[in-house]
Amino acid sequence: MVFSRLFFIYIFLPLCLLCYALARGTKAKNTVLIIFSLVFYAWGEPVYIFLMLITAVVNYSAGLLIGKYQGKKGDTAATAAVVVYDLLMLGVFKYSGFIVENINALFSSSIPVPDIKLPIGISFYTFQTISYIIDCHWEKVKPQKSFKNFLLFLTLFPQLVAGPIVRYSTIEKEIEERTITLSDVSYGLNRVALGLGKKVLLANQLSIIADSFLGNIGSSTMLGAWYGVIAYGLQIYFDFSGYSDIAIGLGRVFGFHFDENFKHPFICRDITEFWQRWHISLSTFFRDYVLYIPIFGKRRKYGGLFLVWLCTGIWHGASWNFIIWGLYYGIFVFIEMKIGKKNMKKIPIVIRHIYSKFVIFVGFGIFYFEKLGKLGTFFKTAFGFGKNGFIAVQDKISLMNNMYLMILAVICCFPILSSIKNISDKHYVTKVTVSSAAAIAAALLLIVTSVMLVDATTNPFLYFRF
Amino acid sequence: MSENNKNTTSEKDKNKDAEKSSVRPEPVISIAASDRENTEIDIPVKAKKLRRERRKKTMNTIALSNIILIGALLAGGFAYMTLLPHETKADDENRMLTKFPKLSAKSYASGQYTEGIADYFDDTVHNRANIKEFIADNLMPLKGRKYGGSDDGAELYGSSAKKKKSISAVTTTKPFIPEITTETTAVQAATEPATEEPAPAEGELTNNILIVNKRGITLYGGGWGTELEYASYLNAYKEKLGNVNVYSMVLPTSSSFYLPDNYKDLAHSEKEDFDNIDGALQNVMSVDAYSALNAHKDEAIYSRTDHHWQPLGAYYAAEKFALTAGVPFADLSEYETVTLPGYVGTLYMYTQSATLLNNPEDFVYYKPKVPVTVTQYDTHFQNPVVANLLLDPSVMPNSGYYMVFGSDERIVHVNTECKNGRTLVIFKDSYGNALLPMLTSSFENIYLCDIRYFELNAIDFINQVGATDLLFSMCSFSAVGVNRNSIYNNLIR
Repeated sequence: MVFSRLFFIYIFLPLCLLCYALARGTKAKNTVLIIFSLVFYAWGEPVYIFLMLITAVVNYSAGLLIGKYQGKKGDTAATAAVVVYDLLMLGVFKYSGFIVENINALFSSSIPVPDIKLPIGISFYTFQTISYIIDCHWEKVKPQKSFKNFLLFLTLFPQLVAGPIVRYSTIEKEIEERTITLSDVSYGLNRVALGLGKKVLLANQLSIIADSFLGNIGSSTMLGAWYGVIAYGLQIYFDFSGYSDIAIGLGRVFGFHFDENFKHPFICRDITEFWQRWHISLSTFFRDYVLYIPIFGKRRKYGGLFLVWLCTGIWHGASWNFIIWGLYYGIFVFIEMKIGKKNMKKIPIVIRHIYSKFVIFVGFGIFYFEKLGKLGTFFKTAFGFGKNGFIAVQDKISLMNNMYLMILAVICCFPILSSIKNISDKHYVTKVTVSSAAAIAAALLLIVTSVMLVDATTNPFLYFRF
Repeated sequence: MSENNKNTTSEKDKNKDAEKSSVRPEPVISIAASDRENTEIDIPVKAKKLRRERRKKTMNTIALSNIILIGALLAGGFAYMTLLPHETKADDENRMLTKFPKLSAKSYASGQYTEGIADYFDDTVHNRANIKEFIADNLMPLKGRKYGGSDDGAELYGSSAKKKKSISAVTTTKPFIPEITTETTAVQAATEPATEEPAPAEGELTNNILIVNKRGITLYGGGWGTELEYASYLNAYKEKLGNVNVYSMVLPTSSSFYLPDNYKDLAHSEKEDFDNIDGALQNVMSVDAYSALNAHKDEAIYSRTDHHWQPLGAYYAAEKFALTAGVPFADLSEYETVTLPGYVGTLYMYTQSATLLNNPEDFVYYKPKVPVTVTQYDTHFQNPVVANLLLDPSVMPNSGYYMVFGSDERIVHVNTECKNGRTLVIFKDSYGNALLPMLTSSFENIYLCDIRYFELNAIDFINQVGATDLLFSMCSFSAVGVNRNSIYNNLIR
């Protein structure tokens, strides 16, 4: 099930909130959350839910073993075994088709390509279990003794299918004991409305532009290619950060405090900073668990760096363009490291902004085109070697038709809401005013979003019937 | 139920309140009471504390109101989605809405059952049509402005990302007729398999729509060579048929006549492709519908809100054809004119554009005064039933255009009072439907067959009915798109 649909917002969620409010005490509330999380997952994956449950049992048991043999050989063995298991599951279900295709291409063999459907959320929950196991091994957290509590950590539906990758350490205490305040609940609900608005009002509309101009790159002009890729980058941002907002908001309603996953990434001044603001739970995962793997000996600083970016790329999808995309960022981070922080700061700020936005949006081009031939056409077109010239009338019409949407989307990339909050919090009167306005704004946003969702199932036979 | 829900929401709030109060300091009132006994020095401190407490209480009240507000929306939405009647049909999209799924082990295991339930609720929202009109009218225009003027300016709608596949879908998507097709569901429509080969790799047919001057225009993408294939298929028919007169009348779309000069680049020239076809036809007579229509482009010969022409356009094309075929032709005065006002056609369905929605047009059609006998057959030319030439407007499907004939998936035989011994077979797409009433004074027998749904060998059929004349009449998109393959397939079947 996805968040951005009426069935979730107005049937699943009210029932869940109702049961949660009626349940007395943290244990009962946890039971409610587990049941709703399992229903939520099984809604889309009635079969693969068993895969997730097996993974839960395996990792839970391994955690206990690690706790039992802390510091001894058994600890390391259990850690290694279960990390291999987790990666193997991810490998089989996410990458086996891609691997076999490439083996076939490389050796002209004809191994049948396995047709495995990707289990929803496997990329996210696998990383959660790995972080849990390694943290147990490093004694950063104590292994969870209760299977129920462990299951709650893993299946908690707000973050189950699209992140953020919530670490066990983040919610360790709150699983067992949490207080829910009025301000938490109201903040959470407003955040959910904000996330839904980003997804439905901005991302969904931007995707129409991106698909017309990038999906048809062969007929696009140079301006069309840039327009399309900017719309696409904004679409991905609002889509993904909107989902994170919903997850964080729902978490807060239930009394959990997840870490932020996006911090206005487009205001970054360089690529290194971009990744400190974009999908933070993923980059910190790689920083903490992959970057310093001591497999590169003395060169581990740079070896680890490129391993991280290779992993980042391939994590996003089993396709070459994602690998290129990851390494592409690796190169810029590497260059920035070589230049050094101090020297980077000497470069005029305007140039740094232009440079970083340019790299990021070209990056979105790589991200979009899974077929490398089309990616080539995109590059040719975007850099003035396309066959359709610089600008055409369709660009002008579309730009005009979507003018306010694009302006709004760009404005929403800036930390305006958090600035308003920071300023208003200083004075009581402004705080009261802004909090009241926020409630009304959230309600209006929810209404408009819901109205727009009625249109989401429209099936206008996009094609003419003659 | 909504009442219930609201109660429980407030109960939830009370619950939260209770949790909160366990950590909250003393209530404000008791502090205020104790204030009276304070010493003078204590007063400012107490007053500060008092103010802090009061402020905290206010903030909590705001938070609580916020929760109640959003909670009420959620509860209201729940009631709306569950208690109000579900819609079953979407007239503007020409389809039946999603039905509640049937449970089976297979449908459950695949996730189709559960997703189907969610789809059912999402798709059948009460008052859906009005909400959608509200979106088209009030929300979508907020995205930007029309290009080149606020009133008659241009809007561009496209589905270019799916361009290639889309052409195949054209051949398989079935028109929705209320009393005949009741099983069409959203899922079927969306996943209708593409049966034909992919569209030409080079020149892609665009499925873009430009709305300008309150008119939706389908933008022609060009054949880029496939128009010559069309011509060669017709040549093959002529070769096999010998004495039967074969005509090609490819019909232009509104793309040829109503695209303002500054938007000409958006579409390929239909005329250019027609000329290519004419150059490639051998012993097949070409009927120049383009000129005939061009001469009358200031009249309502094309629908503004539908991707078809209007019956008046068909009249002028049919006149040209009758002239070429050397048959009599009835003047428009010999028809009864029927006007259906307030018509909003398929282009609104494709674009959901407020411009089209708010500028409906008259759909005008012509009923022959001469009596005719109409028999409908299935696509195997079996199971004849007596039918009317035109659908009754009261059962008119949303795409009013189809009332000319009703459905494409039938073969129609019309026997007329014109006893000239000429028998005409028309192979057509939906554009060709509108020609039928216009030729009822020109041929003794007319067989109207849709190339896409025809399931016999075309040559055998033509010989079987004793045709003297064979007309291929379809719009440019069909002649150069995958529909042209049906012409060939019917030949070799």
